[in-house]
Amino acid sequence: MVEYDRSQSPEGASTAAPRICIVGVGGAGSNVVDRITLDRIVDATLVCAHTDVRVLGHSMAPVKIQLGAELMKGIGAGGDPDLGREAALFSRDQIRHAIENHDIIFISAGLGGGTGSGAAPVIAEIAKNTGALVLVVATMPFSFEGRRRLAQAEEALELLQKRADALVLFENNRMGELILPKDGIQKAFNQADQLIAQSLRAISTITTTPGLVKLGLDDLTSALANANGRCLFGFGEARGQNRGAEALKKALKSPLIDSGRLLHQTKNLLVHVAGGESLTLVEVEGVMKQLGRHVPDQTHILFGLGVDAKLGDAVAVTLISSLGLNQLNAHATAAPPSEMLQPRAEAMAPMPAPAIPAPAPKREVPAKKAPSPYAPPVESTPDLLFKSAEFNAVPAVGEAFPLTSLHLEAAAPVQTRELPVALAEEEEPPAFEETPAQVIAATPETAHIPVRTPAAKELADAARNGSKESTLAAVVARSVTLQTEATPAQDDLISFDEQHESTTISATAVLARKSTAESQQTFSLGEEDRGRFKDTEPSIVQGEDLDVPTWMRLKKKLRR
Amino acid sequence: MAKSTIYAGLEIGTHKICVVVGEAKRDGAIKILGVGQAPSRGVRKGEIVDFEKVQTCVNDALVRAEDRSDVMIRNVFLGVTGAHIESLNNRGRHRLPDEQTEIGEDDVEEAKEIARSVSIPQSNVFLHSVTRQYIVDGQEAVRQPIGREGRVLEADYHIIHGVRGRVQNAIRCVREIPLEVEDVVFNPVAAAQVVLTREAKMQGALMIDFGAGTCDYVLYEDGMITASGCVPLGGDHITNDVSMALQIPNGRAERLKVEEGSVLYDEVPEGEMLSIEDDTGLILGEIERAFLNEVMNLRTKEILTQVRVRVEDHLGRLGAGIYLTGGVSMMKGVDVVAREVFGIKVTRAGSAPVSGITATFENPQYSAPIGLIRYAQILDSEKPFLSPLKRLGRRMQELLSSITL
Repeated sequence: MVEYDRSQSPEGASTAAPRICIVGVGGAGSNVVDRITLDRIVDATLVCAHTDVRVLGHSMAPVKIQLGAELMKGIGAGGDPDLGREAALFSRDQIRHAIENHDIIFISAGLGGGTGSGAAPVIAEIAKNTGALVLVVATMPFSFEGRRRLAQAEEALELLQKRADALVLFENNRMGELILPKDGIQKAFNQADQLIAQSLRAISTITTTPGLVKLGLDDLTSALANANGRCLFGFGEARGQNRGAEALKKALKSPLIDSGRLLHQTKNLLVHVAGGESLTLVEVEGVMKQLGRHVPDQTHILFGLGVDAKLGDAVAVTLISSLGLNQLNAHATAAPPSEMLQPRAEAMAPMPAPAIPAPAPKREVPAKKAPSPYAPPVESTPDLLFKSAEFNAVPAVGEAFPLTSLHLEAAAPVQTRELPVALAEEEEPPAFEETPAQVIAATPETAHIPVRTPAAKELADAARNGSKESTLAAVVARSVTLQTEATPAQDDLISFDEQHESTTISATAVLARKSTAESQQTFSLGEEDRGRFKDTEPSIVQGEDLDVPTWMRLKKKLRR
Repeated sequence: MAKSTIYAGLEIGTHKICVVVGEAKRDGAIKILGVGQAPSRGVRKGEIVDFEKVQTCVNDALVRAEDRSDVMIRNVFLGVTGAHIESLNNRGRHRLPDEQTEIGEDDVEEAKEIARSVSIPQSNVFLHSVTRQYIVDGQEAVRQPIGREGRVLEADYHIIHGVRGRVQNAIRCVREIPLEVEDVVFNPVAAAQVVLTREAKMQGALMIDFGAGTCDYVLYEDGMITASGCVPLGGDHITNDVSMALQIPNGRAERLKVEEGSVLYDEVPEGEMLSIEDDTGLILGEIERAFLNEVMNLRTKEILTQVRVRVEDHLGRLGAGIYLTGGVSMMKGVDVVAREVFGIKVTRAGSAPVSGITATFENPQYSAPIGLIRYAQILDSEKPFLSPLKRLGRRMQELLSSITL
């Protein structure tokens, strides 16, 4: 997977520390870069690229690139990836100038919006052309941001995946688990940025700092090798007594790992233990042993060990792995298959088991899978965002004509790709929406024929005679006298019923109608009289509102 | 240092608010010092809907309890209930490291932690997590695993959880009074501590706390809590049914239910009439007694059926049968209906004998608040005993560590 061309790297680069560049694209990306700048955690060139000048103005990054200055006039892309892409194409010289002569280029972007999803693939391609190793750290939008943004993000993700050597993907939905629900939104976003910054730092330090057991970029890419995978990342640092165990515990606590549960399914796991001079072998052994409990035996553990004087008396544990989206969702809906944490179903109380929260939005799966039948012709064409030949041929940014034509070319394959996604979107929701609609549409047809079974009629008759055979019937009879308005209606129904019976409908037809009428009953809940409980939360069990008096509901059932 | 501790239990019920002050002696005995009660307003189905009304009522009850017990109440154990509270059983499985054969304290902690890290909805909060048993290499019902030889240790937990916001609301309401909430306890768990004897728990028993707003239950099997929960139906529903069937106001229906009502109607002679009076004592009309009883019977049967549905799987293993407690358990004939529904022995029970105001503990209405005292006592006895000096030392240590951090 790594297409790191060693012949292109300058001589002697392997001995010197690799030069790292971190590019933040769009709002989310620049936040991450800000965080890294403030924390001064990585020794790297920090670049912030955005279409919006106001955001750039606030940015702390030493190098700032305004994307598409002439085109956008300093205004953001407004959630349109096409605009973001065009803007990046305008400024590609500037971008190349800023990021060339680096060995590793990190690109951090929040997908789903305009600049992030539009410009990041362009920058990734420029970065790839400079001959550097390209690592993309991207965030997927919150599920509440809507399907459109999600589709845009997925689209950008696909473009990025082709260009990046490794992709680290964070789900914003999971970020919510980083903090307590009562914490402010500011803190939530801060935490998310911090986590991404942490992962950037970890990746760069793991791969660059010399270690006792060295982990290379190849290890990193094999840990992350998973088609359309989501990154599982955990980082923990602790000091004091029992610091190894504490650090591992903290690393496992990361919501991206789901307290270690997601690790049960990983095939490759990269573990890096770092500490100061005081790090002992026993500690490392303890950490690895403890970790072994969370990981199945067949997992390929890529182990790295480093001694870093900067850490002092602290121990840091980093876990990096990836999991396919399908596995992730399967895990979210089902219990972990591993024997380690097996909830005993048979021992559970018979009440509805609490739904295991599904942090990753499930509807992503159809949206993701749907394009594949349509996509092949598109994917087979080399979908470069711009042609490198033209790129070299057009030195000036100001020449508008070739650029716009270029943009058209670039946009064409993307738009065709958008279509299947839109199709998939259209196909899917109706399947959900139609079900109730069909039922509602179907019910009027059957509803005008009062559904009668002979048994019900017998009961009603029995109720009239006042015979005490059935207690239910007796209650009906009594309650009818109380609620006089119900009586004429019932008489009417019964007379109709007699006519109806004379038409000799087959028994199966009656049964079929009965079942539709039963489903209809659940729709008419709101009108029922609940007495003093009318403004409380209804207690609905099997479609019945139990706040409605029992005798009233029984009467309804009998009438049917 | 006193040899006994005084606890206060507060139950905010749908029908009444009750504060019980009790003294827990070192030998395990409980003496009830005083009970304060006030009719409840602003509570529906066991949950607080009107803060201010509830606070006024709690204050009433509190003043009465303080008066009678001559104790100033600052901390309470708060009983909560509501339809949002659910429970589940979970096992945490822990493999011992290869070179270790004896189970140590750390292994037990590890197994506990795994068992407790069950995923509950994000909005929920743990109310209780009770150790049911330990399992060592498949051998069940181990009470004390430390020091045993084994490879795999499992901790079996019963976890009760509820919606965070709703639990917090109850706590906040009490804090504003102001009272400090020492712990939040799921009502039936508290009530079971005084209603069910040790033998009953061992044989297997289902305790149903049939209250005005909710019907809470706890099921014990082999001495271990196995299921618990809350059906959001209760005595108020019976009253509501009566009031709507007879078309009389709610207050009148409640009185009719308590004074005349029964859930047995088979033996009522045909044509026996009851006169309904309005608030001024004028006779509004007459109804058949059998009809009133039937309306109540249908609802009671339905509520108990709802409980049955939730504990269906465990019903075969209840040697001690069913214990009915709570206000509605005083209704005439409710044990007969419960027997019809569950098909096993039914006992109507209040709290087990405790010393103090004798009239109180026999009343099943007070099972839950008295249970809170017992629960508090059990909770304290599980903490390691510390001499006052050590306690002071520990407090100092905590203080110091909080400064250095």
